[in-house]
Amino acid sequence: MPGHFPVDLDAVRGRHSEHFQRFGRRRQTALAIAAAAFALLIFAIGELGFFDGKLLAGLGRLAEITGLMLPPDPKDWAHVRLFSSALLETIAISLLGTLAAAALALPLAFLAARNVTAQRVVRFFSRRSLDTIRSVDILVWALIWVNVVGLGPFAGALAIMTADIGTFGKLFSEAIEAADRKPVEGIVSAGGGKFLGVRFGIIPEVFPVLVSQVLYFFESNTRSASIIGIVGAGGIGLYLAEAIRTLELQQTSFIILMILVSVALIDYVSGQLRFAVIGRRGVVS
Amino acid sequence: MSSPIALLPDAQLRPLLDAYEASVRSRRWHTLLILACVAVAMVLSSISAEVSIPKLLDNIHRFPSYIIRLFQLENGRPVWTDVAEWFWGLPRWLRLLGETLLMAYVGTVLGVIGAFVLSFLAAANVAPSRWLRWTVRRFCEICRTVPELVFALVFVIAFGLGPVAGVLAVAIHTVGALGKLFAEVVENIDMKPVEGIIAGGSSWPVAMRFGALPQTMSNFVSYALLRFEINVRSTAVMGFVGAGGIGQDLIEAIRKFYYSDVSAILVLIIITVSVIDTLTSHVRHRLIGLQEKH
Amino acid sequence: MLRLEGVTKSFGGKRAVDQVSLVVPTGQLVGVIGRSGAGKSTLLRMINRLGDPTQGRILFGDTDITQLKGRALRQWRARCAMIFQQFNLAGRLDVLNNVMMGRAFHVPTSRALLKLWSDDEKAQALSALESLDMARLAGQRADTLSGGQQQRVAIARALVQEPDIILADEPIASLDPRNTKVVMDALLHINKHFGITVVCNLHSLDLARSYCDRLVGMAAGRVVFDDVPAALTDAVARDLYGLEAGEVVGEAPPVLMPVGARPGFALAGS
Repeated sequence: MPGHFPVDLDAVRGRHSEHFQRFGRRRQTALAIAAAAFALLIFAIGELGFFDGKLLAGLGRLAEITGLMLPPDPKDWAHVRLFSSALLETIAISLLGTLAAAALALPLAFLAARNVTAQRVVRFFSRRSLDTIRSVDILVWALIWVNVVGLGPFAGALAIMTADIGTFGKLFSEAIEAADRKPVEGIVSAGGGKFLGVRFGIIPEVFPVLVSQVLYFFESNTRSASIIGIVGAGGIGLYLAEAIRTLELQQTSFIILMILVSVALIDYVSGQLRFAVIGRRGVVS
Repeated sequence: MSSPIALLPDAQLRPLLDAYEASVRSRRWHTLLILACVAVAMVLSSISAEVSIPKLLDNIHRFPSYIIRLFQLENGRPVWTDVAEWFWGLPRWLRLLGETLLMAYVGTVLGVIGAFVLSFLAAANVAPSRWLRWTVRRFCEICRTVPELVFALVFVIAFGLGPVAGVLAVAIHTVGALGKLFAEVVENIDMKPVEGIIAGGSSWPVAMRFGALPQTMSNFVSYALLRFEINVRSTAVMGFVGAGGIGQDLIEAIRKFYYSDVSAILVLIIITVSVIDTLTSHVRHRLIGLQEKH
Repeated sequence: MLRLEGVTKSFGGKRAVDQVSLVVPTGQLVGVIGRSGAGKSTLLRMINRLGDPTQGRILFGDTDITQLKGRALRQWRARCAMIFQQFNLAGRLDVLNNVMMGRAFHVPTSRALLKLWSDDEKAQALSALESLDMARLAGQRADTLSGGQQQRVAIARALVQEPDIILADEPIASLDPRNTKVVMDALLHINKHFGITVVCNLHSLDLARSYCDRLVGMAAGRVVFDDVPAALTDAVARDLYGLEAGEVVGEAPPVLMPVGARPGFALAGS
């Protein structure tokens, strides 16, 4: 309300000129970044063919497809049995791959951890190789393993294992580096060697953390395992891709629903187990 | 110098030792039980997944030989003897790699925008209505549980072959993954500024803009950058189902046994991913550092 | 006999320990006093070789401790037990296994890694625990114990090392007054009955005066006082501690914060 609260605008502006600048320097930088990001977005959208007129037609078709997906329907009991066994296979692939990866990643993680491995060269190479493994997608690993052991779920389990060695190696080595160094010091001060320090000072401390990470990845690996069938590495992905390609849309949505439910179930169970593993620790510390 | 330990007489020692052994034994049973459960699960899974150690042992030599073969040219010489021959398709691959990066960028930006809006609707402390919050949460769950490639398969049917389907698949998955993370960030904010603004008579969007947003911005950006890196990896395989990017050349090379092409493309992808990994983690650390200084 | 000759430790440009020379005869209970940051802890850690001196030598008998490497170094550490302010136990291991770490040097590594302790070793550990009234808790996880109990486990670990010398780095700084007395009495007992040399860092002057045979005062890394406790006048104490003097020589009980104490746990020593 003008006049209600009299101010000498010019005097205030003189004293606090910085507040009257429309755009401060920080704001200018932020705006410049935002403008550049926006320009890149527009350029990219054009470059990728969003403006080719397919978008609207596609959205219409997508709505149609979504409509045809409902309600989910497997068609008959034979398909339900088929999908269920494929789903179990998917979960088996995920479980095996996850556990095998954890077992193989553990020694690598110790090699890559700063507080265990003093040699910088060893550490550098173990880290780089873990990073390299991580940057190759799980589907590529699946294709490679299919070449080695043939089509089927075994290749899938090996693919999950290989891809996860990279991830677990990195996560485990970070957990090991975060471990309290006091217990190790206690053992070393009594004349214990490196192995004893790791065995009794570090492993018992980090074990629950590692178990919790493995359980967490079991869930996300089940999701990955549900698509590696697309390249022939077993599990429900094969049927899913087939159903989509042949436009069996109600079957498609049924399979997706099955995946959603089983992932949610695994999420719940692994969440409970993780709570049990870390919770016990929370109680005492 | 005598030992500082006076060994206890056997009569006194025995019960102590027995009590210790008893407590160890119960823990050991516990461990064995867990191990047994894991072992049973492993065996059942091995049967289901057709695991065959003999088959693995018989064929394992093919894994290193396949990897070695990847690094040999058609004439059998190692790839680094003729780098020009190895990277003969470089112009095309670089263009596809560029397309992959643009796809990851657009997918991430669209996903971030979607997640940004949804997170304020899904966060328990600021959500305007309960049923809306529930719906948004379930929507995010579906978006992040269904694998990107499945979305891509469906979108390829709707939008035709090409990067549009891949971008939308990545965007949808990003909405789900970031929607959850962003909502958690919003749930952890200090509510006093928001209450102060609402108490001043402002509307919900204004309260979010000036009360909630400033507290969440650096975390949002940090998560978005992390997601961008993940999305670069996943757009690299979108081409496997015809949804654009370098994946289409990669899978063709693998399927048709163009060994040196496979390694060339993989090397390009690995370099790109690690460069982006380094850049984004640098920016993220600076952001987190800034946040801690304040 | 432990002999330090011009021992110096620098971190970056700063000298944490500066030209310390000391002779500790066998069987003495030496208290090292001074304000926090005076270099007491760094000094003790160098004797156990958890840290290496930048300059100077540390001798035990005729052995130059600072030159030891590999197995010989581990042997020295086994002879030179260390007790820490934060106990430095492996929290998720049970008490007995923590004590067994004191035998780490003597047991072959392959056997130790599998926790295959012999009956004699177990008897030794349990006897050491019993002398501190802790044998009943041998099967408990260390991190379920109170601070005072954990420190007693750490002392039992030191005992099974059958050491020639015990270094205690602020052993009571995390304990309540009752456990302070239990721990200090145990150290005194070990020193007087078995003639084991004890070097103990202490923040509290009152405790140092009542337990130690000799006091070494440190300030800014240097030894500024070295005499019997009776010679430590209030004026010297004020020099040593500066503004902290009131806290360490006043009427107040030496340790105010029962950090390690947990209500709800019965203390085994009471």
